[in-house]
Amino acid sequence: MATIHNAKRRARRVDGWRWAGRIFLLFMLLYTAVPMIWMLITSFKSGFAAMAFPPEWWPKEPTLASYQKLLDPQNSVGQDFLHFFWNSLFVSTVTTILSVIVAVPAAYAFSRFSFPGRNFLFFSVLLRNMFPAVIFLVPLFILMRLLGLINTPGSLILTYMTFGLPLAIWLLKGFYDNIPIQLEQAARIDGATRFQAFVTIVMPLSVPGIIATAIYSFIGAWNEYIYAYTFLNRNDQLTLPIGIQRFFSENTTDFPGLMAASFMMSVPVVVLFLVLQRYFVRALTEGAVKH
Amino acid sequence: MTSLKLGAAVLRGAVVSAFLASALSTTALAAPPVDLSKWSPEYVRSIAGTEDFDTAAECGKVTPLDYKGDLTFWYQGVFEGDPDLLRQYYKDFFETFRKTYPNINLKEQALTYNDLLDKFRTALTANAGPMVVRLQILGGVEFASKGYLQELKPEDVGWSTEDFWPGAMKSVTWEGKTYGVPTNNETMALIWNADIFKRAGLDPDKPPATWDDVVAYSKQIHDKLGIAGYGLVARVNAGNTPYRFMPQLWGYGGGVFDEADPNPTYSEIRLNSAASKRALQASYDMYVRDKSVPVSALTNQQADNQPLFVSGQLGMMISHPSDYNVMKDLQKKATGDDVAKAQTVIDNMRYGLIPTGPDGRRAVVFGGSNMHILKPEYVDGGKVDLPAAKAIICFWTSPEWSLKMAYAGSNPGNLNGFKTKWMKERLDNIKFLDVTTSMLPYGVPFPALPQTPEIMNHIIPDMLQNALTGAMTVDQAAEDAAKKVKEVAGGGGL
Amino acid sequence: MTIVSGHVAASHQAPPTRASLLKQMWVSRTDYLYVLPAIAVMLIVIAYPIYYTIDLSFFKTPPGLQLRDKIFVGWDNYTAILSSEVFWKVTLNTVIWTLSSTIIAFILGFAAALALHRDFLGRGVLRAILIIPWVISAVAASYIWKWIYHSDFGIIGAILVQLGLASRPPNFIDNINSVLPSLIVVNIWREFPFAMIMLMAGLQTVPDQLLRAAQVDGASTWQRFWHVTFPHLSGVSTVTILLLAVSNFNSFIIPWIMTGGGPSNASHIWITHIYELAFGRQRWGVASAYSVLLFLILMTLGYFYVRALSGNDRRGPS
Repeated sequence: MATIHNAKRRARRVDGWRWAGRIFLLFMLLYTAVPMIWMLITSFKSGFAAMAFPPEWWPKEPTLASYQKLLDPQNSVGQDFLHFFWNSLFVSTVTTILSVIVAVPAAYAFSRFSFPGRNFLFFSVLLRNMFPAVIFLVPLFILMRLLGLINTPGSLILTYMTFGLPLAIWLLKGFYDNIPIQLEQAARIDGATRFQAFVTIVMPLSVPGIIATAIYSFIGAWNEYIYAYTFLNRNDQLTLPIGIQRFFSENTTDFPGLMAASFMMSVPVVVLFLVLQRYFVRALTEGAVKH
Repeated sequence: MTSLKLGAAVLRGAVVSAFLASALSTTALAAPPVDLSKWSPEYVRSIAGTEDFDTAAECGKVTPLDYKGDLTFWYQGVFEGDPDLLRQYYKDFFETFRKTYPNINLKEQALTYNDLLDKFRTALTANAGPMVVRLQILGGVEFASKGYLQELKPEDVGWSTEDFWPGAMKSVTWEGKTYGVPTNNETMALIWNADIFKRAGLDPDKPPATWDDVVAYSKQIHDKLGIAGYGLVARVNAGNTPYRFMPQLWGYGGGVFDEADPNPTYSEIRLNSAASKRALQASYDMYVRDKSVPVSALTNQQADNQPLFVSGQLGMMISHPSDYNVMKDLQKKATGDDVAKAQTVIDNMRYGLIPTGPDGRRAVVFGGSNMHILKPEYVDGGKVDLPAAKAIICFWTSPEWSLKMAYAGSNPGNLNGFKTKWMKERLDNIKFLDVTTSMLPYGVPFPALPQTPEIMNHIIPDMLQNALTGAMTVDQAAEDAAKKVKEVAGGGGL
Repeated sequence: MTIVSGHVAASHQAPPTRASLLKQMWVSRTDYLYVLPAIAVMLIVIAYPIYYTIDLSFFKTPPGLQLRDKIFVGWDNYTAILSSEVFWKVTLNTVIWTLSSTIIAFILGFAAALALHRDFLGRGVLRAILIIPWVISAVAASYIWKWIYHSDFGIIGAILVQLGLASRPPNFIDNINSVLPSLIVVNIWREFPFAMIMLMAGLQTVPDQLLRAAQVDGASTWQRFWHVTFPHLSGVSTVTILLLAVSNFNSFIIPWIMTGGGPSNASHIWITHIYELAFGRQRWGVASAYSVLLFLILMTLGYFYVRALSGNDRRGPS
């Protein structure tokens, strides 16, 4: 008797939590989605309609004019926008590839080898995560000048690599820590060198981790603002965040255009993330949580 | 057009006397090409189209037309919010320059007003500057005093010092030496919407005569119609803010130093004088007491006022005559009902002189840009191609181009520009031009000190924000700003 | 026990002598090749700027002089900073900003992870939507929210006025009291998905048997959470909170683009203030001194961060 009564009471209490959970999720959904929906709606309005007060909840005359302007290669605005898009794509992709190439061996070494200074080096790499971008703007600018990289994508690629490396190495190291060493030992017994074992056995197994690293690196590079602002002057070198800001800073504050550009800027990374998110979560699970 | 005729007579008297006053203050010069003492809309009309200039020939004397060289050049460009007309002229300039000097390899870079100063400074820290730069009038002295610029005067590029406004020449002089050539000089005026005035019960053809009137009119517009009256802007680190506040400050008889006086020495700080505080109080009254200006004024630039004005939600604002063209462009992009709304606004746009202070003192910022040449060690590449640099400077500051590049919103730096046939065209095409040329004699140049950018772009807007947000009282804000100016002028301060 | 651990923990030997250290380094020289690229990149991009900044912090850079002609002032910059009102105000802002953003983002993320833990229809879609703010560029987010908060045209103001809850649109970012909380809301919007992902991953490692055992024993939902789930996630939580704290401390884009630190310094945090001092007012010396101070604080945070991580490292499955 008592157990049935308890079960009922428990069921009611569980229901309470579940409802709380649902209401909470609803709230979070609104909190997350409403700004993005409003961004979309604004982007379909004309300049004046956007300034109406009280605002039009749904544009009386929705227009794709802002998007057309941004994507039209004949239009000077469109030309610039597409150029920025390409620049961002280039910088982000190269940064990602290079970061992976550099992070993978380093993470492997930190995981498998024991050499003097290993711990110190590992933690000093991680420490980089601590330093705010802003502090180093001018010295890095001077440095880039010395290296002859000002106004080239190279300055950004080099800088972005240092943002992504610490987390990449840490994630991948966690991954490698979880891969049983017996697999490589078996390969070594069969005559493979340490390097061959690494490439043929270990790397394929760490693909989720590499993908996670790549995603993180790409998104970080795509969205970065302040270094791009400082290192790039020439209009044809600008990446998306800066290019967009330059459009709309000095003169007309064309909010529909700005919203359209923000939307367009977000689409690639959101799509990329949605498609690959399960690798990212898996990598975090295996790499970050379990050691 | 009738409003112009009405105003013309008033303008003539006001302008001539103002100009005589400012002319007396300048050091004695050889005769300029136009008679500045006769300056008035009629005089300007009478000299337009009276002389012809062959830019290529003139500049050919400075640098031969077949000269072979490389040139890097930064300038404040035209962007989204500038009239199409002006953008066309900018394109024409570079095309014509390249055609005239086909063997000069020109690499130019356009930047926004606010970015230009930032990026120029950053580039100089790493010796990565351009060879030639066209910089806003506010910035020149800072770089001259730091020793980045070469000595340069109009004579070096084929003109003469008398061809330029005395006030403009002052802005390129540091410790007795000249470091640049002015390209254009602009003085703003007051724009208002006659329709809004009428609906608010104000005389649609009479602008507010004094700043106190501005406050009163703004309140009336807001109270009657529920829209913003005056387009106040108070954003930090944005050029628009000092350009619109300083006329108010000077009008009331205040100032940062004594820069509005005929022969300023910049030794006495006046930002906390009673007159300056009264000016700040006017802004406070509008923003806090009457709430008759946009709440977003604290983060607004002039660009934020334009859409408000063209959609009929703003009664008046201070700006260039080019805003008329911008409004027309904005209207072209409007759709549906908005087209008619915009047309009403455009039909009702009026221009008038900047209001005076309570004592009848009228002042406006003597704005504009200058071109400078950098010293080789600060240039990316380590060399300055001097003849090529002079070629482009001669070109831009020639009568023809200094006029064309200032077509819609400004005035040629080179006084000969007023005599060209394009000036005649301009007088016929650009509405309200009379007003802006009439404002030129009231122009007060910024203090010619290296600290001026910080004072104008940071200390003054900070003072406005402190007072308008209530973080400090008007008194405290003015005192705080005066203290900061003292520290900065003394070379220290946080 | 000791014998076993002696064998297992082969790396925990007595500290090597100098000769044997060098020998070890020589023996492992190929190992260094694996980490060389990473270290090289980090060194170039970090070592020089750190040196430069520390050096510059002892100088003054008045507007009339070039950077290289800076004037030596010793500790003056540091004393000027520590005795200025603005510094303490900005510090307070930074503390409020970092603590609020971190804690609230963490709690929201945790709650969302818990709510999403159980499978239900549409969970995948919901999860995807909730992650998007983190992926969107901070620049885009700033502009979107700036538009939402706009004092004259913002949607929030419009809704409130329409519903009759306010006579004028409320002033979010043009008011010195409400600007910081408004910006924090935006920051949390961007940050919570990160906490959510980390904790979702962590929740998957909580052993089901323990939870079921607790349920059979009569533990309530809350008790199960508090006594089984939460302790199990302490490692992940620590790391997440630390990562969030560091990221918030350093977040520049949102305050800078939305308000530029205004109005009246009400939304300046350390980072934005340093930027304004350096690039806006050309006070390179003071900005460098500020940076050094920030540096030291972050090193302290970093110490705890690293300890938490290495604690995580050494702790095996419980």
